[in-house]
Amino acid sequence: MTSLPRANILARVPEPRTGPDVTAMSDWSRVTRPIPVPNEWTKPFWEAAKRGVLALQRCQACKHFQHPPYATCVRCMATDLAFEPVSGAGTIYAYTIMYHAGDKRFAAAIPYASIIVEPDDAPGALLAANLLEAPYTEAKVGRRVEVVFQPLNDDFTLPQFRLARDTR
Amino acid sequence: MWEHRCKVAVSGVGFSRVTRSAEVPLAAHALEAVQGAVADSGLAVSDIDGLATYPELPATGHAVVDGITIVSVNCMMAMLKLSNLSWHVQVETVNIGGAVQQAVNALLAGVCRYAVVWRAMHNPKGTYQNLPGTYAQGPSQFTAPYGFGGPGQGMAVAYTRWLERHGQDREKMATLAVTQRRHSHKNPHAYFCGQPLTREDYLNSRMVAYPFCLYDCDIPVQGAVAIVLTTADRARDLRPRPAYIAGYGQRLAFEVAGRIGSLSSYMEGGRSSSRLTWERSGLSPKDVDVAQIYDGFSASVIYGLESYGFCKEGEALDFIQEGRMELDGELPLNTFGGSLSTGRIHGLWHIIEGALQASGRAGERQVEDVNVSFVGASAPIVQGTTFIFVKEPY
Ligand SMILES: [Zn+2]
Repeated sequence: MTSLPRANILARVPEPRTGPDVTAMSDWSRVTRPIPVPNEWTKPFWEAAKRGVLALQRCQACKHFQHPPYATCVRCMATDLAFEPVSGAGTIYAYTIMYHAGDKRFAAAIPYASIIVEPDDAPGALLAANLLEAPYTEAKVGRRVEVVFQPLNDDFTLPQFRLARDTR
Repeated sequence: MWEHRCKVAVSGVGFSRVTRSAEVPLAAHALEAVQGAVADSGLAVSDIDGLATYPELPATGHAVVDGITIVSVNCMMAMLKLSNLSWHVQVETVNIGGAVQQAVNALLAGVCRYAVVWRAMHNPKGTYQNLPGTYAQGPSQFTAPYGFGGPGQGMAVAYTRWLERHGQDREKMATLAVTQRRHSHKNPHAYFCGQPLTREDYLNSRMVAYPFCLYDCDIPVQGAVAIVLTTADRARDLRPRPAYIAGYGQRLAFEVAGRIGSLSSYMEGGRSSSRLTWERSGLSPKDVDVAQIYDGFSASVIYGLESYGFCKEGEALDFIQEGRMELDGELPLNTFGGSLSTGRIHGLWHIIEGALQASGRAGERQVEDVNVSFVGASAPIVQGTTFIFVKEPY
């Protein structure tokens, strides 16, 4: 198989050399985020987040965690499901860096990292988030992250993630 | 093997004019494509007695207006006034490939004789994706508040996982974009026909959703394509050489709505669909002479090549190098230019090219000595279907 010369895939983005690169910090201050509308299945997730707890739907029969919430356990089909807290530690499963404002309300934050986090306690449950408190260039598959809570308004708090303490 | 292999064939294909955005109602494009496919078959419109489509409007947040932004079966019935109409269906779960498969089933069941399938695609003037308003309902409550909007981003996350897990390099994707664009110069129906694209253009283009740059995304257009399907014995009496359907499959795995970024789900979707297709046809990837693999976003081709079994996981971007996807390569790929060159008309274009290559009707871009022609007609997880067309029934 051929092997082409490896190039810096983010050639036009300054790479941080020592410490966080402020030029690669996304500015979230002028972003108006859409507000979640909980339903019967998702309400406990948002209620827990408001209390500063990351809680995910868990099958009471086979103990499988799943996200987003669903009517049945996607592993064993049981319908006895309840929300249980997880530690909030996890890894970046995947990510993208947005350079184009699909949603115009996010234009001020561009470029920004949208990440998918797999919690340690809930393998296979994938949570969308932004990488906060770090340059977007720090988003990499496999990086350790921890949950932080970002109040959206008086009623809603978003679970978000930052690099885990020991890796910052 | 499937007892019905090679009993249904594609006997005609048709194309509408393609414009960047809507200038005339979409129904006019759909009608032009359908009339073209019927004429290509050597039939009259009144011979058509079966209709099938997948009418979805991928541009979110725009009004669904039949005849203007979508073309439903009802709309086509009203336009064609078919006196012999005996069967029709409109599918939802498996994209346009599912509509083709339903038409195959209807022909095998003997409930219609000549079925037409069309895909008409609207591109509104102005913003393509109008994202949710102040509130994020349903599955989007877990994604929209984080600035996830539009399908490119959902696919981009799986692509970063693929790249970093396999230590791969997105610059290798330039080969796909550039080669497909070169293929499209031999396809007069392609939106980008005659407009060159170089490796440098690809590497210098603006990032949209990393790792996707502009040329990893198909361009939204307004246009339609159509095919006529009939039973093999009837197809042999028609003007064009038939492209026989030796097997088909559809994805049997699906994600819970709102779960995004799962690379393994793309792979499971593609494996399940292709397994059915290989089993039904009795063929395997090494028998394939030419392949069309859906490329609405470039990374779909990676998941397709790997999950359908053309190469190992992590190797797809190496597989397409060294001329392997050229018209005279080991596996000529997306020989019509792909969606990246024709514009976003979904997988019916891939099905058309698969059929044209099998029947030796692909003109200047015809691959030599084709017997087995493979099609992956949608992104494997989302609404994936797969097909095999052959020149010689067996
Ligand atoms: Zn369970």
